[in-house]
Amino acid sequence: MAESTQDNVVLDIRGQICPSCLLLALKELNRYGEAVRSGRLEIVVITDDRQATSTIPAAVDKMGYIAEVTHIPEGYRICLRGGV
Amino acid sequence: MDDSPFTLIVVASALIGLVAGFVMHRSDFCVTAMFRDLFLVNDRFLLRMLALLVVVSMIAFEFARLGGQLSPYPFPLLGPASLTTLVAGVLFGIGMVLAGGCVVGTLYKLGAGSVVAAVAFIGLLVGSVLYAEWHPWWSALARSTALHSAVTLPELLGLQPAYLILPLALVGLVYLVRCQRLGLLSRPAFARGHIAPWQAALVLAALGLISWYVIGMPLGITTSYAKLGATLESLVQPERVASLAFFQTQGLNYTPPFADAAVQGGAGPQLDAIAAIQYPLIAGIVLGAAVSALSVGEWRLRYRIPARQYASALLGGILLGAASRMVPGCNIWHLWGGVPILATQSLLFLLGLVPGAWIGSKLLSRMVIR
Repeated sequence: MAESTQDNVVLDIRGQICPSCLLLALKELNRYGEAVRSGRLEIVVITDDRQATSTIPAAVDKMGYIAEVTHIPEGYRICLRGGV
Repeated sequence: MDDSPFTLIVVASALIGLVAGFVMHRSDFCVTAMFRDLFLVNDRFLLRMLALLVVVSMIAFEFARLGGQLSPYPFPLLGPASLTTLVAGVLFGIGMVLAGGCVVGTLYKLGAGSVVAAVAFIGLLVGSVLYAEWHPWWSALARSTALHSAVTLPELLGLQPAYLILPLALVGLVYLVRCQRLGLLSRPAFARGHIAPWQAALVLAALGLISWYVIGMPLGITTSYAKLGATLESLVQPERVASLAFFQTQGLNYTPPFADAAVQGGAGPQLDAIAAIQYPLIAGIVLGAAVSALSVGEWRLRYRIPARQYASALLGGILLGAASRMVPGCNIWHLWGGVPILATQSLLFLLGLVPGAWIGSKLLSRMVIR
């Protein structure tokens, strides 16, 4: 369900079994970590998993990334980018 | 079913379920995640919430018992621990991780519109009914591998419950206060209408106490999964259901706190005390979660997911349903009810649950979520 565009990787994980959101986000961070860290790429997670809005920011914070959560009509948009 | 002994039980169970479902959805109080995330991402945050719930329940239950407010004590349906409890605990741990939620997590996710949780729920019914096929053999094995006749650790050690429970609770409190000072009992959350898990833990502990005080036992639901499954099976195979010993057993026989006479209940399809206690609780949890999801605009049917996740939910649900009867009892029964009074069966279940969740986490990350 990962879709790559010029500046970001979009993961649509709506409806999936727990904890798909967290695991797939971490997997993409491992794959694109260098590009995300350098600011060339952002990983965008589209989810309706309420728990992911706290577990993903907590997990990526430990890894030195920043997570920005916004509410959207489909659920939540979690944007992962490199830390400052 | 005579109305009079059951009216209070039905109303209390439904209200407790409504509050529990609402709170669990808003806080995402997922018991499966407490164990699973420890192994998947070394996240102990939710496990601390379980510790909080258990420690608060230990204190609340024990002081209520000392005040003569808890009857019967220990609560009904708890049995002596046997090696089968340990084995079934492992299977339960695997099942709940593969199903994506435990017996209660499945309900609140179902209430919020999760189709994969509905599949896990069907698996739970199937697994609960399947257990009836090997119940005579399994229950004989449980009797032959029973470790001791004592139902609780204080009873096993010949101690007054307070002498063991309160010092242990004090140790737990010291740990939790230390966690609180280090900021480990809360973390940022961005979901609409979010209730902090520590607040949910306190509410759920209070609901457990109310349930025991009013109904005569803390929260538990899984015998009714077997009952509902038996009801559905009896529509197509009534002779089969009637021939299975498991569905004829009346395991529950007790006098509720505000009743004059004893009531009975079992896993068979009849409407009895088990139905009066657990059906409203199940319906309440689903409805409470649905109200919560609707009120934040997040109720929607979600079904476009990989087929292997449906397979995992179904197989996990079947394993969970069967294991909950093999234990017997589910995670909320034992972790929120039995562990706080140091029930030996519950402690052994927890001992099995942990490696089970580890195995389930390995299976989930290698075969299901890819």
